[in-house]
Amino acid sequence: MTKQNTLREIEKKTYISYHQDGLIDIIVGLYALTFGLGIIVDQLLDFNFAVIMPGIIVVILLPLWLYAKRKITMPRIGYVNIGTKGSNKLFALFLGLAVAGLGVFFLFTMVTFESGRPEWIETILFQYGMIWIGLGAAVIGSMFAYTMGLKRLHGYGLLTLALFVVGYFLSFPFQYLLLLIGSIIIASGVALLIQFINRYPVQKGASENAAQ
Amino acid sequence: MPPSDDGIQNIDRLIHEPSRLTIMMHLYVVESADFQFLQHQTGMTPGNLSSHLRKLEDAGYVEVTKEFMDRTPHTALKLTKKGREAFKQYRKSVKKIIDKLPE
Repeated sequence: MTKQNTLREIEKKTYISYHQDGLIDIIVGLYALTFGLGIIVDQLLDFNFAVIMPGIIVVILLPLWLYAKRKITMPRIGYVNIGTKGSNKLFALFLGLAVAGLGVFFLFTMVTFESGRPEWIETILFQYGMIWIGLGAAVIGSMFAYTMGLKRLHGYGLLTLALFVVGYFLSFPFQYLLLLIGSIIIASGVALLIQFINRYPVQKGASENAAQ
Repeated sequence: MPPSDDGIQNIDRLIHEPSRLTIMMHLYVVESADFQFLQHQTGMTPGNLSSHLRKLEDAGYVEVTKEFMDRTPHTALKLTKKGREAFKQYRKSVKKIIDKLPE
Protein backbone atom coordinates (compact mmCIF):
# COMPACT_ATOMS: atom_id res chain seq x y z
CA MET A 1 0.00 0.00 0.00
CA THR A 2 2.59 2.46 1.15
CA LYS A 3 5.18 1.78 -1.49
CA GLN A 4 2.84 2.78 -4.30
CA ASN A 5 2.07 6.13 -2.73
CA THR A 6 4.46 8.91 -3.44
CA LEU A 7 4.81 11.78 -0.99
CA ARG A 8 3.33 14.13 -3.55
CA GLU A 9 0.24 11.97 -3.89
CA ILE A 10 -0.13 11.83 -0.11
CA GLU A 11 0.20 15.60 0.07
CA LYS A 12 -2.47 15.97 -2.60
CA LYS A 13 -4.73 13.44 -0.86
CA THR A 14 -4.36 15.37 2.40
CA TYR A 15 -5.39 18.61 0.72
CA ILE A 16 -8.33 16.98 -1.05
CA SER A 17 -9.52 15.30 2.17
CA TYR A 18 -9.45 18.59 3.97
CA HIS A 19 -11.53 20.33 1.29
CA GLN A 20 -13.96 17.54 0.41
CA ASP A 21 -16.56 19.07 2.73
CA GLY A 22 -17.75 21.57 0.12
CA LEU A 23 -17.29 24.52 2.49
CA ILE A 24 -14.84 26.27 0.18
CA ASP A 25 -17.38 25.95 -2.65
CA ILE A 26 -20.12 27.47 -0.50
CA ILE A 27 -17.85 30.38 0.42
CA VAL A 28 -16.80 31.00 -3.21
CA GLY A 29 -20.45 30.77 -4.29
CA LEU A 30 -21.54 33.15 -1.53
CA TYR A 31 -18.82 35.57 -2.66
CA ALA A 32 -20.12 35.60 -6.25
CA LEU A 33 -23.74 35.78 -5.08
CA THR A 34 -23.17 38.65 -2.66
CA PHE A 35 -21.07 40.51 -5.21
CA GLY A 36 -23.90 40.23 -7.74
CA LEU A 37 -26.41 41.36 -5.11
CA GLY A 38 -24.09 44.27 -4.27
CA ILE A 39 -24.21 45.49 -7.87
CA ILE A 40 -28.01 45.23 -7.90
CA VAL A 41 -28.22 47.18 -4.62
CA ASP A 42 -25.86 49.74 -6.21
CA GLN A 43 -28.24 50.29 -9.08
CA LEU A 44 -31.32 50.44 -6.87
CA LEU A 45 -29.97 52.72 -4.14
CA ASP A 46 -27.37 54.61 -6.14
CA PHE A 47 -24.76 53.70 -3.55
CA ASN A 48 -21.26 52.44 -4.32
CA PHE A 49 -21.82 49.18 -2.52
CA ALA A 50 -20.05 46.95 -5.08
CA VAL A 51 -16.74 48.76 -4.55
CA ILE A 52 -16.53 47.99 -0.82
CA MET A 53 -18.37 44.69 -1.11
CA PRO A 54 -15.35 42.41 -1.78
CA GLY A 55 -13.60 43.66 1.37
CA ILE A 56 -16.70 43.28 3.53
CA ILE A 57 -17.31 39.80 2.20
CA VAL A 58 -13.74 38.69 2.98
CA VAL A 59 -14.03 40.04 6.53
CA ILE A 60 -17.30 38.17 7.07
CA LEU A 61 -16.80 35.02 5.00
CA LEU A 62 -13.29 34.09 6.08
CA PRO A 63 -14.12 33.78 9.81
CA LEU A 64 -17.35 32.02 8.83
CA TRP A 65 -15.38 29.46 6.83
CA LEU A 66 -12.93 28.87 9.70
CA TYR A 67 -15.82 28.49 12.16
CA ALA A 68 -17.59 25.98 9.90
CA LYS A 69 -14.34 24.04 9.47
CA ARG A 70 -14.01 23.77 13.25
CA LYS A 71 -17.64 22.80 13.81
CA ILE A 72 -18.33 20.56 10.81
CA THR A 73 -15.10 19.21 9.32
CA MET A 74 -12.85 18.71 12.33
CA PRO A 75 -15.24 16.58 14.42
CA ARG A 76 -15.64 14.27 11.42
CA ILE A 77 -12.23 13.78 9.85
CA GLY A 78 -9.98 15.41 12.41
CA TYR A 79 -7.64 18.34 12.24
CA VAL A 80 -4.63 18.90 10.04
CA ASN A 81 -2.27 21.82 9.84
CA ILE A 82 -1.06 21.73 6.25
CA GLY A 83 1.84 23.93 7.32
CA THR A 84 4.12 26.37 5.63
CA LYS A 85 4.64 24.44 2.41
CA GLY A 86 0.94 24.42 1.54
CA SER A 87 0.47 27.98 2.81
CA ASN A 88 3.48 29.19 0.82
CA LYS A 89 2.06 27.82 -2.42
CA LEU A 90 -1.28 29.53 -1.81
CA PHE A 91 0.42 32.75 -0.69
CA ALA A 92 2.54 32.74 -3.85
CA LEU A 93 -0.61 32.27 -5.92
CA PHE A 94 -2.42 35.13 -4.15
CA LEU A 95 0.64 37.34 -4.57
CA GLY A 96 0.93 36.42 -8.25
CA LEU A 97 -2.75 37.18 -8.79
CA ALA A 98 -2.45 40.50 -6.93
CA VAL A 99 0.53 41.53 -9.09
CA ALA A 100 -1.25 40.38 -12.26
CA GLY A 101 -4.40 42.23 -11.15
CA LEU A 102 -2.44 45.42 -10.57
CA GLY A 103 -0.76 45.02 -13.97
CA VAL A 104 -4.12 44.58 -15.71
CA PHE A 105 -5.55 47.55 -13.78
CA PHE A 106 -2.51 49.69 -14.75
CA LEU A 107 -2.80 48.73 -18.43
CA PHE A 108 -6.55 49.24 -18.36
CA THR A 109 -6.17 52.71 -16.83
CA MET A 110 -3.47 53.67 -19.32
CA VAL A 111 -5.51 52.52 -22.28
CA THR A 112 -8.72 54.09 -20.97
CA PHE A 113 -7.31 57.53 -20.29
CA GLU A 114 -4.90 57.77 -23.18
CA SER A 115 -6.23 60.10 -25.81
CA GLY A 116 -6.20 58.98 -29.40
CA ARG A 117 -6.14 55.30 -28.52
CA PRO A 118 -6.84 52.96 -31.43
CA GLU A 119 -10.48 52.00 -31.74
CA TRP A 120 -9.75 48.28 -31.86
CA ILE A 121 -8.33 48.39 -28.31
CA GLU A 122 -11.58 49.90 -27.08
CA THR A 123 -13.57 47.28 -28.96
CA ILE A 124 -11.53 44.41 -27.56
CA LEU A 125 -11.56 45.74 -24.00
CA PHE A 126 -15.06 47.02 -23.58
CA GLN A 127 -17.16 45.21 -26.10
CA TYR A 128 -15.86 41.81 -25.06
CA GLY A 129 -15.50 42.74 -21.37
CA MET A 130 -17.68 39.88 -20.16
CA ILE A 131 -15.70 37.33 -22.12
CA TRP A 132 -12.47 38.69 -20.62
CA ILE A 133 -13.92 38.37 -17.12
CA GLY A 134 -15.03 34.82 -17.91
CA LEU A 135 -11.56 33.98 -19.23
CA GLY A 136 -10.03 35.50 -16.09
CA ALA A 137 -12.30 33.37 -13.89
CA ALA A 138 -11.36 30.23 -15.85
CA VAL A 139 -7.64 30.95 -15.54
CA ILE A 140 -7.88 31.82 -11.81
CA GLY A 141 -10.07 28.75 -11.19
CA SER A 142 -7.51 26.54 -12.94
CA MET A 143 -4.64 28.04 -10.96
CA PHE A 144 -6.41 27.37 -7.65
CA ALA A 145 -7.45 23.91 -8.86
CA TYR A 146 -3.83 23.09 -9.64
CA THR A 147 -2.43 24.57 -6.42
CA MET A 148 -5.04 23.01 -4.14
CA GLY A 149 -5.47 19.76 -6.07
CA LEU A 150 -9.22 20.38 -6.32
CA LYS A 151 -10.31 19.46 -9.85
CA ARG A 152 -13.82 20.83 -9.39
CA LEU A 153 -12.41 24.38 -9.34
CA HIS A 154 -11.48 23.87 -13.02
CA GLY A 155 -15.16 23.14 -13.57
CA TYR A 156 -16.30 26.31 -11.81
CA GLY A 157 -13.87 28.39 -13.87
CA LEU A 158 -15.04 26.80 -17.11
CA LEU A 159 -18.68 27.17 -16.09
CA THR A 160 -18.10 30.88 -15.45
CA LEU A 161 -16.44 31.26 -18.84
CA ALA A 162 -19.24 29.39 -20.60
CA LEU A 163 -21.99 31.39 -18.88
CA PHE A 164 -20.25 34.70 -19.53
CA VAL A 165 -19.78 33.87 -23.22
CA VAL A 166 -23.44 32.83 -23.52
CA GLY A 167 -24.44 35.87 -21.43
CA TYR A 168 -22.48 38.12 -23.77
CA PHE A 169 -24.23 36.85 -26.88
CA LEU A 170 -27.67 36.91 -25.19
CA SER A 171 -26.97 40.33 -23.62
CA PHE A 172 -27.67 38.93 -20.16
CA PRO A 173 -26.78 41.44 -17.39
CA PHE A 174 -23.47 40.79 -15.62
CA GLN A 175 -24.91 40.94 -12.07
CA TYR A 176 -27.56 38.31 -12.82
CA LEU A 177 -24.90 36.04 -14.26
CA LEU A 178 -23.00 36.42 -10.98
CA LEU A 179 -26.16 35.44 -9.07
CA LEU A 180 -26.58 32.40 -11.31
CA ILE A 181 -22.96 31.28 -11.00
CA GLY A 182 -22.95 31.88 -7.24
CA SER A 183 -26.14 29.85 -6.82
CA ILE A 184 -24.79 26.94 -8.89
CA ILE A 185 -21.52 26.84 -6.92
CA ILE A 186 -23.37 27.06 -3.58
CA ALA A 187 -25.70 24.23 -4.66
CA SER A 188 -22.69 22.12 -5.59
CA GLY A 189 -21.04 22.94 -2.25
CA VAL A 190 -24.19 22.05 -0.29
CA ALA A 191 -24.44 18.73 -2.16
CA LEU A 192 -20.80 17.99 -1.27
CA LEU A 193 -21.42 19.00 2.34
CA ILE A 194 -24.43 16.68 2.67
CA GLN A 195 -22.43 13.87 1.11
CA PHE A 196 -19.54 14.59 3.49
CA ILE A 197 -21.78 14.68 6.59
CA ASN A 198 -23.40 11.38 5.62
CA ARG A 199 -20.09 9.71 4.82
CA TYR A 200 -18.33 10.83 7.98
CA PRO A 201 -20.52 10.83 11.07
CA VAL A 202 -19.15 12.62 14.13
CA GLN A 203 -16.79 10.36 16.08
CA LYS A 204 -16.80 11.46 19.65
CA GLY A 205 -13.42 11.32 21.38
CA ALA A 206 -11.62 9.97 18.31
CA SER A 207 -8.91 12.58 18.64
CA GLU A 208 -8.12 11.54 22.20
CA ASN A 209 -6.95 8.00 21.39
CA ALA A 210 -3.35 8.66 20.56
CA ALA A 211 -0.66 6.96 22.55
CA GLN A 212 -2.84 6.50 25.59
CA MET B 1 22.62 -14.95 1.83
CA PRO B 2 22.20 -11.62 3.68
CA PRO B 3 23.44 -8.55 1.85
CA SER B 4 26.53 -6.98 3.33
CA ASP B 5 27.77 -3.70 1.93
CA ASP B 6 24.89 -2.37 -0.14
CA GLY B 7 23.38 -0.24 2.60
CA ILE B 8 20.38 -2.43 3.43
CA GLN B 9 21.76 -3.05 6.91
CA ASN B 10 21.78 0.69 7.53
CA ILE B 11 18.08 1.16 6.81
CA ASP B 12 16.10 2.43 9.79
CA ARG B 13 14.01 -0.60 10.66
CA LEU B 14 11.71 1.40 12.87
CA ILE B 15 10.59 3.44 9.85
CA HIS B 16 10.81 0.54 7.40
CA GLU B 17 7.81 -1.25 8.91
CA PRO B 18 4.91 -0.52 6.44
CA SER B 19 2.43 0.88 8.98
CA ARG B 20 5.01 3.15 10.58
CA LEU B 21 6.30 4.19 7.16
CA THR B 22 2.72 5.18 6.26
CA ILE B 23 2.45 7.24 9.45
CA MET B 24 5.80 8.91 8.83
CA MET B 25 4.88 9.74 5.22
CA HIS B 26 1.57 11.27 6.23
CA LEU B 27 3.13 13.35 8.98
CA TYR B 28 6.06 14.35 6.75
CA VAL B 29 3.84 16.25 4.30
CA VAL B 30 2.05 18.31 6.97
CA GLU B 31 3.01 20.50 9.89
CA SER B 32 0.82 18.55 12.31
CA ALA B 33 -2.33 16.44 12.35
CA ASP B 34 -4.50 14.93 15.02
CA PHE B 35 -5.06 11.26 15.73
CA GLN B 36 -8.42 11.20 14.00
CA PHE B 37 -7.11 12.73 10.78
CA LEU B 38 -4.17 10.36 10.69
CA GLN B 39 -6.44 7.39 11.29
CA HIS B 40 -8.74 8.59 8.54
CA GLN B 41 -5.87 9.05 6.09
CA THR B 42 -4.02 5.83 6.84
CA GLY B 43 -7.05 3.58 7.27
CA MET B 44 -5.52 2.00 10.38
CA THR B 45 -7.50 0.92 13.44
CA PRO B 46 -7.19 3.12 16.56
CA GLY B 47 -5.35 0.38 18.47
CA ASN B 48 -2.90 -0.30 15.67
CA LEU B 49 -2.24 3.38 15.04
CA SER B 50 -1.81 4.03 18.75
CA SER B 51 0.72 1.25 19.20
CA HIS B 52 2.83 2.34 16.20
CA LEU B 53 2.67 5.96 17.30
CA ARG B 54 3.95 5.00 20.72
CA LYS B 55 6.97 3.29 19.14
CA LEU B 56 7.69 6.34 17.01
CA GLU B 57 7.23 8.60 20.02
CA ASP B 58 9.60 6.46 22.11
CA ALA B 59 12.21 6.80 19.35
CA GLY B 60 11.77 10.57 19.44
CA TYR B 61 10.44 10.71 15.88
CA VAL B 62 6.92 11.87 16.73
CA GLU B 63 5.82 14.47 19.22
CA VAL B 64 2.42 13.94 20.84
CA THR B 65 0.81 17.01 22.37
CA LYS B 66 -2.44 16.93 24.31
CA GLU B 67 -4.43 20.14 24.17
CA PHE B 68 -7.98 21.44 24.33
CA MET B 69 -9.78 22.83 21.29
CA ASP B 70 -13.29 24.15 21.91
CA ARG B 71 -13.20 22.45 25.34
CA THR B 72 -12.58 19.09 23.65
CA PRO B 73 -9.41 17.10 24.32
CA HIS B 74 -7.33 16.99 21.20
CA THR B 75 -4.13 15.09 20.41
CA ALA B 76 -1.79 16.85 18.02
CA LEU B 77 0.89 14.76 16.32
CA LYS B 78 3.91 16.06 14.50
CA LEU B 79 7.28 14.83 13.35
CA THR B 80 10.12 16.06 15.49
CA LYS B 81 13.28 17.45 13.90
CA LYS B 82 14.91 14.10 14.60
CA GLY B 83 11.96 12.33 12.95
CA ARG B 84 12.17 14.49 9.83
CA GLU B 85 15.90 13.93 9.55
CA ALA B 86 15.46 10.19 10.07
CA PHE B 87 12.81 10.06 7.36
CA LYS B 88 14.98 12.05 4.94
CA GLN B 89 17.86 9.69 5.64
CA TYR B 90 15.58 6.69 5.16
CA ARG B 91 14.46 8.00 1.75
CA LYS B 92 18.05 8.57 0.71
CA SER B 93 19.11 5.09 1.79
CA VAL B 94 16.22 3.34 0.05
CA LYS B 95 16.76 5.37 -3.13
CA LYS B 96 20.44 4.47 -3.10
CA ILE B 97 19.69 0.77 -2.79
CA ILE B 98 17.01 0.83 -5.48
CA ASP B 99 19.27 2.80 -7.84
CA LYS B 100 21.97 0.16 -7.47
CA LEU B 101 19.65 -2.59 -8.67
CA PRO B 102 20.11 -3.70 -12.28
CA GLU B 103 17.34 -2.81 -14.76
